[in-house]
Amino acid sequence: MASNEFVVPAQYEDLTPAPQVDSKTLNRMALRSYWLQSSFNYETMQSGGWLFAMIPGLEKVHTNKNDLAASMYHNLDFINTHPFLVTFVMGIVLSLEQNKLDTQTIRAVRISAASPLGGIGDALFWLTLVPITAGITSNMAIEGNIAAPFIFLLIFNLAQAACRFGLMKWAYKVGTGAIDALTANMQAFTRAASILGVFVVGALTVTMGGTQINLTIPNGTTRGLAAHTVVVNNKDAENFADLEGIDTEEAEPGTLALTDIDGNALTAVAGEDAVECGIVDLGNGMSSVTYAEVTETEVNYSVASTLDTVLPKLVPLALVLMLYFLFAKHNFTPIKGIVLLLVLGLLGAGPFGLWPSIW
Amino acid sequence: MDVSFVQVALIFVVTFIAAIDQFDFLESLYQPIVTGAVVGAILGDVQTGLVVGGTYQLMTIGNMPIGGAQPPNAVIGGIMAAVFACSLNMDVNVAVAAAIPFALLGQYGVTLFFTLRAPMLESFRAAAVKADTKAITRLTVISEVILGLIFAAIVTLFFIGGQAFGETVVNAIPEWVNTGLSAGGGMMKFVGFAILLKIMMNRDMWGFFFMGFGLALIAVNIPAIAGPALLILTFIGFGIAFWDFQQQTELKGAAFDGGDMSDGI
Repeated sequence: MASNEFVVPAQYEDLTPAPQVDSKTLNRMALRSYWLQSSFNYETMQSGGWLFAMIPGLEKVHTNKNDLAASMYHNLDFINTHPFLVTFVMGIVLSLEQNKLDTQTIRAVRISAASPLGGIGDALFWLTLVPITAGITSNMAIEGNIAAPFIFLLIFNLAQAACRFGLMKWAYKVGTGAIDALTANMQAFTRAASILGVFVVGALTVTMGGTQINLTIPNGTTRGLAAHTVVVNNKDAENFADLEGIDTEEAEPGTLALTDIDGNALTAVAGEDAVECGIVDLGNGMSSVTYAEVTETEVNYSVASTLDTVLPKLVPLALVLMLYFLFAKHNFTPIKGIVLLLVLGLLGAGPFGLWPSIW
Repeated sequence: MDVSFVQVALIFVVTFIAAIDQFDFLESLYQPIVTGAVVGAILGDVQTGLVVGGTYQLMTIGNMPIGGAQPPNAVIGGIMAAVFACSLNMDVNVAVAAAIPFALLGQYGVTLFFTLRAPMLESFRAAAVKADTKAITRLTVISEVILGLIFAAIVTLFFIGGQAFGETVVNAIPEWVNTGLSAGGGMMKFVGFAILLKIMMNRDMWGFFFMGFGLALIAVNIPAIAGPALLILTFIGFGIAFWDFQQQTELKGAAFDGGDMSDGI
């Protein structure tokens, strides 16, 4: 794994800002952005496709081969953004690359700009555009209208293309326009970008961290008394006398009782209310008998709810911190981290039924 | 059912394209409303294909790949529903229901595939170190072709093998393998997070990480703002970063004109 020995330099070798990238290259990048998720994986998500899309621009601005290698390498960082809005991030990042900012700054800006777009894009496309267009055209299709799929494709792709090509140019212009003000205070800017970056990663740990230990441990049983009320004639009511003097602490579940071992009336639970057991003569030859049934319910101890009372999302936080520690202090490679998590996942699932799954 | 070789080949091609399109390219060709009509045309019944596609599409609205989550796979589900309706003459709604186990199988498959594809990043990194842009293109193509072929092979097998075969396969995978792989896959993003932290973190930045974590916990538990939580949090984070930027630059300016002498230190 030679790649793991590669360390991205803090600064590019050639620090002369590159000339403006022409509009043809920007269009090529927007076209390539259609393949953003081509190498989607759970470690760095869209990073492979992101690099693929950035390459025309990176080739233009990094004429030094070492710089191009460094830039390509750090453009493989974790990234997850919305496919239709990605060109916005691409335009900003390209303007930073062109002006040869510190690599750490570029990395921090990229994750900070990309992450929040995911939510906006989901809201705009998957929750608005698709439901509306697909909703209307689906009904046309169910009625047998052959135009339905074509109308759906046309509307959807016009919106998509407008986003991809429009945002690419606009973001690049915004990025290059703001760059002078930023480069004057480079150190402070890098620090500020890193602050936003770690802040966003902290937030992502919560919003994307779905890992939870869903183990429940049986923790004995609890006994209770459930009240039942019946109305019987007075003669039958006398038959309930043998339910008196029952030891409800020891009796089998399902045992019926009116009074406890000392002859005191039992208090049982009916729904939410506590009622006293006993026989009430209704005065019309009938009696209302309230008796108790001994119940036994299993008590489960939920690991998840206990963890949540300590701190919600504790498991994702612990995993991120553990991995950070392994990467930063023990020179763990990403692939080792992945294998570790896979083993953890499989072991936690109770392989071969050896123990209950904790997921 | 009688199917010709041409029909099998066409189903293979359509699935290959739809499998890639579900994540890349137009990201709309794979929608059941489109694949239903196309599969219907291949099997000689466009009308039924349209109806089944529209029905399946309505079912999947609100079941989109949001926030990296994998819904039941609409490519396999949509195509199989159309296959059942057009070739087995199933009622449209029955066909859609019968396709759901296949969609679930596709969902597991995609999760597994995204997990197993992570090591491929090493090849990307190796190419990046050599500044080999052609290799990146090559890897991208390979990556897509593998995805397309896996989907096309599975759907073609189901197409030939039919419904019973699909259920056998679904039942053959032990529960713990499914659970374990999806738990492992769900955790993998933490590797990406930890690497980002390693790049950006230094000793006096931990406070900002925990602030982001804490504020996000609050935000996701308020239903009204849970959806756009990340955008709102980024605004807050931006405010903090911007404030820090101003502090740093103003201090520098103050030191420059000796302004900090006035407080007598």
